[in-house]
Amino acid sequence: MSAESVELSGVGVTPRTGVGNVIWYRGTADLSDLPDPKTVDTDAELERFESACERAHEELDAERERARERVGDDEAEIFDAHKAFLDDPAISGGVETAIENGLPAPHAVRQAFEDPIAKFEGLEGRTAERADDLRDIRDRLLRILTDRDRTDLSDLPDGTILLAERLGPSDTAQLDPETVAGFATVFGGRTSHAAIFARSLGIPAVVGVGDELAQIAEGRPVLVDGTDGLVVIDPDESARERAGDEKAEIITDHVGTRDGNEIEVAANVGTLAELDPANEAGADGIGLFRTEFLFLDRESPPDEDEQYDAYVEALSTFSNERVIVRTLDIGGDKPISYLDTPEEDNPFLGDRGIRRSLGTDADLFETQLRALLRAGTEGNLAVMFPLVSHVEELDAALARVEQVAKALDEDGIEYEVPELGVMIETPGSVFMAESLAERVDFLSIGTNDLTQYVMAASRENEQVADLHDPLHPPVLRAIHRTISAGHDGGAWVGMCGEMAGDPDLTELLVGFGLDELSMSAVTVPEVKSRVRETDSKEAEELAEQVLSVETREEVRKVEK
Amino acid sequence: MERTVTIVPEDGLHARPAAKFVTTAGEFDAEITVATEENGPVNAGSMISVTTLDARQGDEVHLVAEGKDAESALDALEDVLTTPEGES
Repeated sequence: MSAESVELSGVGVTPRTGVGNVIWYRGTADLSDLPDPKTVDTDAELERFESACERAHEELDAERERARERVGDDEAEIFDAHKAFLDDPAISGGVETAIENGLPAPHAVRQAFEDPIAKFEGLEGRTAERADDLRDIRDRLLRILTDRDRTDLSDLPDGTILLAERLGPSDTAQLDPETVAGFATVFGGRTSHAAIFARSLGIPAVVGVGDELAQIAEGRPVLVDGTDGLVVIDPDESARERAGDEKAEIITDHVGTRDGNEIEVAANVGTLAELDPANEAGADGIGLFRTEFLFLDRESPPDEDEQYDAYVEALSTFSNERVIVRTLDIGGDKPISYLDTPEEDNPFLGDRGIRRSLGTDADLFETQLRALLRAGTEGNLAVMFPLVSHVEELDAALARVEQVAKALDEDGIEYEVPELGVMIETPGSVFMAESLAERVDFLSIGTNDLTQYVMAASRENEQVADLHDPLHPPVLRAIHRTISAGHDGGAWVGMCGEMAGDPDLTELLVGFGLDELSMSAVTVPEVKSRVRETDSKEAEELAEQVLSVETREEVRKVEK
Repeated sequence: MERTVTIVPEDGLHARPAAKFVTTAGEFDAEITVATEENGPVNAGSMISVTTLDARQGDEVHLVAEGKDAESALDALEDVLTTPEGES
């Protein structure tokens, strides 16, 4: 780095780097140019506030829908939280009292939010970040009340680095990853809503930089390094190259280790909106296409054609690449109104995954298989069954596939039986991996659930979070055993849990002998470049060492 | 009428689960308060109050309801507090 470049540090939230020119976003909270409060018509101001709240609700509904399409269902629900804050009797009561005391609506709003914001700021961690949500809501009301246009953040010039004191979720959700090269904020933490949205959109971002950010003038060239949490002012050629390289690091070809051992690096997706970003990140196909989104938030199950269309959309986004669809994995923990999902004491050990598909939800399973077999003609499709724990379950599932194929034949409908596989996530399936592998084309290890079941530690229970780490030797041995047994049984073996997306574990996983790794799209480029740096022989030695130790501490030492 | 419930959602009683909790509380004809071991009781219909309780996964919360719908309100709120979120 040359002497001219100045570096500021903050909290990196998206592991990517972007470079561009600064645009400052000042928000709309500044009321200094409003005239002083004069004697006001109390009734008129109350009415004005009421209609501003109505308008805010309408905006939030619209933004929720937009975020749902662009960022995902879970993130979009943030706007529900905003609606609940907006309806808080403490807020409306505070505004009404202030108006009755003679303030015009905008000033009353500003005053009514002061205490609650201060209250949240005084708390710790994630709760403190709710202050950002309150500011966002306050600014929305002020903008509506003062008839100001909203700064349109969805249409910024190409190569913008957006700087702001804070960005609320409603601001961040508007950003277009095509044009915004990155953003940085004075305040904010890793778990703020702005950070969550930035990660989902894949925009390089650094938050919580501090007041020094304010010294950066509009128009200055700036580099935002979301991996190391750096904001570099006037980046020199080498810094720019590094960023340029990182962008070019999106590798669209399949990659291999230094000695030519090809590893597929695919993406996990949970909605159709995630397909394009996965493709743009250079994923070699989809290693886990979750189908739950098709079934949630509706009154009745999706019919065969609707499912067919969704699978074909994935196949056409990834023409020539493999798309692995996981059949419905729903159970007592994820209630669906139109399904009979009784409450269970241990839902994660209960009636879910393939168990429901072979039992209560047999009809739903048949419809899903029909849609999948029909979609099989449109590309390189693969289907895997979740939560298999013994061989008979797999045999029953494979028999259902045969029945469906036969029925399609009889109906004269075109179809193709896709590649079939089993998700390995129960100890039962680990012990039977070879027999399972003999019956299918592939195994895919789901490390999140496998860890939960091997360690007998619920993922829902914070008290046992420490046990929920795939680096515990019993989990690593289960993974290794699955890979060897799977290969012995003649199947290829992949991994689609969170562990696969940790670049620091790529060498170890390659050493274990995995053929495929699947992860969230943002980590695909980094894992691909790690694969290219890996030497198979060294990786195998590392794997052997890791498998020879008995504690997680020793695993960590070897891993470093 | 009162009830003690252990929080199941991973996020505790934060943004999204809290919004659901508050909205549900508002649907019933009952005065409802909620408290944790350290904080509260507060109005279950106020998003700000509920969020500032800072109730986490595994924490016990104490619900008190008075009014016509008290029992059904408690049932519905217990449901919200014991339904986990998201993907497995």
